[in-house]
Amino acid sequence: MNWIMDHGAVVLPLFLGWLAVWCLLPREKARSRVLGGLIALGAMLTLQQALLPPAGNAVRDGMFYLFSGTAILSGGLMITDRNPVFAALWFALSTLSVCGLFLINSAPFLSAATIIVYAGAIVVTFLFVIMLAQQSGAANYDHRPVQPVAATVMSFVLLGALLFALQEWGGIDGKSADAAREGQFATVDPTVKANPFSRPPVSNKAEIGSMRVLGRSLFADYLYVVELAGTVLLVATIGAIAIAPRRSQGTL
Amino acid sequence: MTSTALESQLVVGAILFALGMIGFLTRRNLILIVLSTELMLHGVSLNLTAFGRYHGNPQGQVFTIFVLTIAACEAGLALSLILTLYQRRKSLDVFLWANLGEDDLPVLSGGGVPAQPKAADPNADLPHLTPAGRAPTIPGAKI
Repeated sequence: MNWIMDHGAVVLPLFLGWLAVWCLLPREKARSRVLGGLIALGAMLTLQQALLPPAGNAVRDGMFYLFSGTAILSGGLMITDRNPVFAALWFALSTLSVCGLFLINSAPFLSAATIIVYAGAIVVTFLFVIMLAQQSGAANYDHRPVQPVAATVMSFVLLGALLFALQEWGGIDGKSADAAREGQFATVDPTVKANPFSRPPVSNKAEIGSMRVLGRSLFADYLYVVELAGTVLLVATIGAIAIAPRRSQGTL
Repeated sequence: MTSTALESQLVVGAILFALGMIGFLTRRNLILIVLSTELMLHGVSLNLTAFGRYHGNPQGQVFTIFVLTIAACEAGLALSLILTLYQRRKSLDVFLWANLGEDDLPVLSGGGVPAQPKAADPNADLPHLTPAGRAPTIPGAKI
């Protein structure tokens, strides 16, 4: 009991989050949406207590709370919405919020690429398939989750393990110093010795996400990996064309 | 740039990962299962970019680009597989494919699909191999 009181900043939002997800999961009977939404709001507010940052840049903190709150809320709505079309749209909103977080992490190119790939390609094709396959909206099996209690308990146990590891590591509660502690991270040599194109990195922190630095790292340090990724894309494309049903065999 | 920004982003990434895991485990719609894995990938990408900014090198973003590539491959393959499965059973329910499991494994059924009772094995006390698939029905043959 003492232990729970000590770690209340993590245990309370975990428990409230589990309760909210369990309340909101689709089921055959009517689910109490208002109660679940209120509990989810309480969980997010208590979680905000746990990761309250020291007074920093107000704009940056505001953007972080806006984007992360939207990402988590729309992720939760995605996994609890009965209608798969709405779930896919919530996933698109969650993707946009994650792209906003990428912007905070000074990754503008990555943000744009993620929006194009996910919202522009993946979500649209998934919506296409959902609308072709389920023309009558939510089907019977969308109302019946698989093993809801066991799955949510297990996932929140995993989340609790991650949060406790973070707390022990440096402190969600702001115990950690600004600089990395000795032995906290393994230092990795950023240049890949085997690659003749590899160059020493730039030290200017503001330039991390710029196209110049990113392209130099991508096409010099990781040139072989880029070729491998291209090969994987080609193989996946050919495989998808080979697997996909022909139109002459049937519709869709 | 304070280090708390890193930890907060790690927390958000962990929450997104857990939410995607819940969706992956509980939903029965094939498409929503794949979308939940994409949500888990978002959590991982967030971690990678946060660490990349913390260390001041572009490697986190480069790794995220590779994650994006693999996610695109995965989505394409998953869609063509789902279309093929849909053509067979005319439904996106994942439980319609539950009988692909081996015979002596327990059937985890959620609500709706009753677990089929198993016939008693007369040779239960003898050592046996794991059955691989079902015995074919041969017309006219006596078993």
